[in-house]
Amino acid sequence: TVRPKNEAEHKQLCAFGEYVAEILPKYIQQVQVTCLAELELLIHPDGIIPVLTFLRDHTNAQFKSLADLTAVDVPSRQYRFEIVYNLLSLRFNSRIRVKTYTDELTPVDSAVPVHQAANWYEREVWDMYGVFFANHPDLRRILTDYGFEGHPFRKDFPLSGYVEV
Amino acid sequence: QTTGLVGLAVAENPHERLRILYTKILGVLQNIPKDAAYRKYTEQIVNERFDLVKKETDVQKLQDKLNSGQIEEVILQAESELSLARKMIQWKPWEPLVEEPPSNQWRWPI
Repeated sequence: TVRPKNEAEHKQLCAFGEYVAEILPKYIQQVQVTCLAELELLIHPDGIIPVLTFLRDHTNAQFKSLADLTAVDVPSRQYRFEIVYNLLSLRFNSRIRVKTYTDELTPVDSAVPVHQAANWYEREVWDMYGVFFANHPDLRRILTDYGFEGHPFRKDFPLSGYVEV
Repeated sequence: QTTGLVGLAVAENPHERLRILYTKILGVLQNIPKDAAYRKYTEQIVNERFDLVKKETDVQKLQDKLNSGQIEEVILQAESELSLARKMIQWKPWEPLVEEPPSNQWRWPI
């Protein structure tokens, strides 16, 4: 069985995506709506804080809650890491995804000034992938062991690690 | 007399507060170029709400007409819109795209 397609919801998401793209053309590179009715904004990394503050504060887009902050590693690309922010709007009961990109050495602006919840998520992304967040209040390892070397979630890190246990 | 929400005190004289906030927002928006989409849409939203606030003196009926939660929440939203407008003047998001991504960046599946 396949989920039935809700045309009205799809159209609404497309309209909202075009609305946001019209207001922030400086940072938004692409807008897409997935087949599962999820809106995604693809951003230039300079625009993380402006776009997240806009989505949090604007009246038509009160995405007050940061549900998730993760990264995706695609080693074949020039900018291998894709940072993904999942936001939830309680007022309008809708979700949105914001994606940025970076490579191993370029720091990315921290989302902590905008959403306090990003604190530990960014620590996890730093620990697991090695993406450095500028202006983070306390960026240190959170899940790996104290003397652990390497960033485990990268695609070139072997499954059973380098150290024998 | 309570908002029903933790941490949000009841606002006395909400019409006055909203009037001040909306005039401030409109004043800040004047510093943005006239053709920017942000200015157009925000002015539309603020003017709609401002007219509703001016016409309706009863708090309960105003809450129903605005259809956006408690009046205190509307005040909070107006304050955040004001701070957003001030930050937008510095960021200038209406300019054209900063930098194009590499051609394979957003291709999925790879």
